[in-house]
Amino acid sequence: MINLKINGLNVSVDKGTTLLEAAQSIGFPIPTLCHKEGLTPYGACRLCVMEIGEGDRAKLVTSCTYPAEEGLKVRTASRRVLRARRMIIELLLASSPQSKTIQDIAAAHNVKQQRFRQEYEDCILCGLCVRMCKEQMMAGAIGFRGRGQDRSIGTPFDIKSEVCRLCGGCLYVCPVCSLRCTYNQPDKAICGACANLSPPCVEKEPFDDMMCYMEPCVACEIK
Amino acid sequence: MRKLTSIDEFKGLQDRLIADQPSDISTIIIPAGTCGQASGANDIIRAVKREILAKDLSTNIRIRITGCHGFCEMEPSILIEPQGTFYPKVNPKDIPRIIDAILKDSVVDELLWKDLSIGTTIAKQQDIPFFKQQTRTIISRSEKVDPIRIYNYLRSGGYRGLAGALDRGEPKWVVNEVKISGLRGRGGAGFPTGLKWEFLAAKKGDRGKFLVCNADEGDPGAYMDRSVLEGNPHSIIEGMLIGAYATGATNGVVYARYEYPLAIKHLLIALRQARELGLLGENILGTSFSFDIDVIKGAGAFVCGEETALIRSIEGKMGEPRQRPPFPTDKGVEGKPTVINNVETWANIPVIFEIGAKEFAQIGTKGNSGTKIFSLVGKVKNTGLVEVPMGITIGEIVFDIGGGSIGKAAIKAVQTGGPSGGCIPVSMFDLPIDYDSLAKAGSIMGSGGMIVMDENTCIVDIAKYYVNFLKDESCGKCYTCRKGTQRMYELLEDITEGRGTLEHLDLLEELAHVVADTTMCGLGQTASNPVLSTLKYFRDEYIEHIIDKRCRASVCKDLVGAPCQATCPIGTEAWRYIAHISRGEYEEAYISIREENPFPSICARVCDHKCESRCRLGQSGDRPVAIRALKRFVTDNVDPSVYKPKRSSEKQTAKVAIVGAGPGGLTAAHYLSLKGYPVTVFEMDSKPGGMLFSCIPAYRLPQDVLTKEIEAVLDENITLECNRTLGTDFTVNSLFDDGYKAVFIAVGAQKGRQLDLEGEDAEGVLPSIEFLKAFNQEGIQLAKGNVGVIGGGNSAVDAARTALRQEGVEKVTILYRRTQEEMPAFEEEIEAAVQEGITLETLVAPVKISTEDGKITGVEFQRNQLGKMDSSGRRRPVPMEGSNFNLPLDTLIIAISEQPDVNSIKPDIEGGLEITRWNTLQVNENTLECGRSGVFAGGDVVTGPNTVIAAIADGKKAAVMIDRYIHGEELRQIEEPKIPKVYVEPYPIDEDEQGEIERVELPRVPVKRRSKSFIEVERAMSDADAEHEAIRCLRCDLEFTTPKSEEH
Repeated sequence: MINLKINGLNVSVDKGTTLLEAAQSIGFPIPTLCHKEGLTPYGACRLCVMEIGEGDRAKLVTSCTYPAEEGLKVRTASRRVLRARRMIIELLLASSPQSKTIQDIAAAHNVKQQRFRQEYEDCILCGLCVRMCKEQMMAGAIGFRGRGQDRSIGTPFDIKSEVCRLCGGCLYVCPVCSLRCTYNQPDKAICGACANLSPPCVEKEPFDDMMCYMEPCVACEIK
Repeated sequence: MRKLTSIDEFKGLQDRLIADQPSDISTIIIPAGTCGQASGANDIIRAVKREILAKDLSTNIRIRITGCHGFCEMEPSILIEPQGTFYPKVNPKDIPRIIDAILKDSVVDELLWKDLSIGTTIAKQQDIPFFKQQTRTIISRSEKVDPIRIYNYLRSGGYRGLAGALDRGEPKWVVNEVKISGLRGRGGAGFPTGLKWEFLAAKKGDRGKFLVCNADEGDPGAYMDRSVLEGNPHSIIEGMLIGAYATGATNGVVYARYEYPLAIKHLLIALRQARELGLLGENILGTSFSFDIDVIKGAGAFVCGEETALIRSIEGKMGEPRQRPPFPTDKGVEGKPTVINNVETWANIPVIFEIGAKEFAQIGTKGNSGTKIFSLVGKVKNTGLVEVPMGITIGEIVFDIGGGSIGKAAIKAVQTGGPSGGCIPVSMFDLPIDYDSLAKAGSIMGSGGMIVMDENTCIVDIAKYYVNFLKDESCGKCYTCRKGTQRMYELLEDITEGRGTLEHLDLLEELAHVVADTTMCGLGQTASNPVLSTLKYFRDEYIEHIIDKRCRASVCKDLVGAPCQATCPIGTEAWRYIAHISRGEYEEAYISIREENPFPSICARVCDHKCESRCRLGQSGDRPVAIRALKRFVTDNVDPSVYKPKRSSEKQTAKVAIVGAGPGGLTAAHYLSLKGYPVTVFEMDSKPGGMLFSCIPAYRLPQDVLTKEIEAVLDENITLECNRTLGTDFTVNSLFDDGYKAVFIAVGAQKGRQLDLEGEDAEGVLPSIEFLKAFNQEGIQLAKGNVGVIGGGNSAVDAARTALRQEGVEKVTILYRRTQEEMPAFEEEIEAAVQEGITLETLVAPVKISTEDGKITGVEFQRNQLGKMDSSGRRRPVPMEGSNFNLPLDTLIIAISEQPDVNSIKPDIEGGLEITRWNTLQVNENTLECGRSGVFAGGDVVTGPNTVIAAIADGKKAAVMIDRYIHGEELRQIEEPKIPKVYVEPYPIDEDEQGEIERVELPRVPVKRRSKSFIEVERAMSDADAEHEAIRCLRCDLEFTTPKSEEH
């Protein structure tokens, strides 16, 4: 067993437990977007940051990827953590304001406005769909492409994947509800789970002959 | 090549190779790395070979082709061994002469490196300042070896360290030696190499262990790793072999940038040769030690230089960092324990085993041992690779080795560590270069990029450039790195394009901190450095972009518009009047000048024309448009009455007092009067004009021109009270008592600074301002006989030329402590003075004034020589012992500088006015406010001696501020960017025509006719010349304006 302190409370966890699991096990609420039980931790959204260490050596780490260490002192809601988390939420709101999940997180943290130029993007590249496809559905049909601002999720060379079974696992896990699987024939859409009241896809160009992950939802338009 | 099967065999081969080496034959060494080849080294190689063959010299002269030696600026270059002669920028045509000289054991003097500041040539490489001040342990090895010949490397002692380690048979000793050496990772983070090796050595090796050489050098402007790989690949192989032996590693990988084809080629050749010789592969040198190295080419992602991303890239996956722990020493390539070191770190390993770990630890400073290679680039004279011991200061690198600024602009900052590094301002150039000091200053050592920036570099633009780089090169995994860099870029873009607000700045700073805090790998954690460090040291420049909408370096296009207008302190639309001149519309031209400047005829004669220094034509290789001369043409040919000032219909009741009727005071009076204020101007002299009247000689500015222009400005709102002196006749306090609501102090700098030498009070010794005033105001001629003028500014030249024109003056000498190039006076003035027969004596300083009966008889001077660079980037004059000489003088004019007369301000200090240690008035430079509410100041009384245009600019600004103050408005407000707004149709010319025209120079009155008279020296331009000159203008304004017909 590994003993550590979270917000001053002594916690004992098994070796290999992440800080996120440890904190959640004693009831601290930690916001996450890219984390899902059953999928490998990835550390993309950075929302779950916690502060570890002391003095000059104190730093923020993503708790979903950081393993519990003996004697570690962890703060889940220090000023530094909250400042970072609120800024991340602002960034999320600035880019993907229509996501119910993000709106809820913002509300929970009392972030009511963002100060950047407003964008309307669908995907936050959290990679849940990629991991779902690979790790749970054993398909690996989609993955990340490009880097920096050109990073996106899709199939290699945008060619329809032969290993995709249209299982819909990707959209099931999507936190911003944008990767909705419809295949290239809207009438064969298998999505129905979208609860977004104003789907971002309505305004966009009609769906063309592409893999579902590439383009926004048409399912929302098909009642 | 026969495979070596034992250590003894290896030693035998090496000894034989060294013994065979003829020591007395000259060798021509040609650096032909990528940089050398690009500048023509291959032609040099061909020419040398041809010459050797043609003259059958192959037994007399040898040739060695090597990698880069570091002085890239001077390539293609040649180094001759054993003499050490260095020839920079060699032309293939010169090869025969160089070879002849070698045979005669002499040098070709005119082809040698020349120290431009002294003008002498230096033959030996080691004596050239660029090389002299370096400690070139790694780079100098590249001179000794041809990278594609392993025997060459062996001859220089190569692989001896490996053989020694194998011979000793104690891997632990090897690790310990590296620990003792104190070597820290040269990739940037500075982790102790020995410690890392120890971690790896402690791991079980049953599944294999990896050693990786990180050669994914991606920083813009950094190329030291390439150069080492190209020039000395065997040193990397040897380093890795020693590392493998020490740690029990089984596999090696060199991860090299795909963009370095020559480095990869040389490395592959070196690997093959090492394998053939039995130095690599199974059972190395017959021992049980086996190790081999693969080369993997990176696909060009900057982030792959980060170790965890690099590991994934080696594995064939997407280059994306992962969380540490686990560290690579636990879980690296293919999950096996791995040590990753940078190229330069590996190159240091053989050095440690050659000179000994303890010896190595002596180089540099404690905790930062050894040397570090920097690639010194940017606005510096000597660009290239510079290897210095750790702990040397930035200033030493930039000024002593780099030779200081490339042009006249002063150096402003240096950027270290590439995109993840920060900018360090010139004021901190005393900072020692080591991992810890740089991190404390907000930058990083990084891999060693060092980009020098001067005043023509915009700091905000630099930050934007790096953030742009990072937003493209971030892997995109961490949301805060991907989105954070995009958003930082967006904010910086807003600021540079004139949309910035102060909230932008706060948000930028907040975001930058969060990005640094919440990202996973080194790239994200340091991505904020360019922003945070520039915000820390150059916040003023950001605020200037936001509030004044001004980019002082004239870089940010949307704020600069036309550089001539942006550089002018009063925003004169030079492009506009030039355009009108080209169309023959002289009246329109005059109106456009006069709108911004109440004294156009004066400025047409004495302005320092900053506009011309930034003219795009001048910056693109041609000579700038003669803007001042064109202004002169317009003012000479147009009647000022065509301009009707726009007066405010509103009458103001608040009275404003202006102290000083110089250019600053009169300008403020003029613009306040246009706004309807009743203004009183107090002047201590009997006539208005200030320095224009009392100090500028008539041959530059005729008095009637001055009088006419001043009279035109005075109107019914302005009351002029002459012979009234601040501090004696009235005070600021009494002005408020008399009902004035605001006061503008523009009394100038009226007191000459003294030399602080004995005998300064003797007869015949006088400050230039007194000398000029006596002559200009009252016609008293104070100079006689042999006249000396000490100083190098405009007032020195004015005094000298005025003295020359006085009766009874035989000879005039200007004496300046630095070189002629560094004289602050206008170039054309110095030139005219020399033409008129004035002697220029530079690099001299007075030490003693000799007197007899209270009269000066002469001055003893000491000669200076140029010493080290000071922080202004100029070489400090250092007195030479025993160089004293005596100059008999009848008159000595001291023109070293002026200061405001503090006595005039003293009575008001209680009221809140403050005096700086330079005896100037303390003001808020943005609002011109003094310590007391309602009191403003500008011009020389604030800045010390400055230009006319600066005083006019302050006067204009004061008028705006006083108006705002009286109306109770915020003084500092967000301004509009000064970009061209009026469309003037271009004069139709074809491009060939424009290309052929040369800059028109203003004709001068011949020396004979002018040197004893005060007629104006510069004459006006003809119509045809003016039109010719005007069509040279590139019309930068057209990018911002649209013809009326196209407006929507």
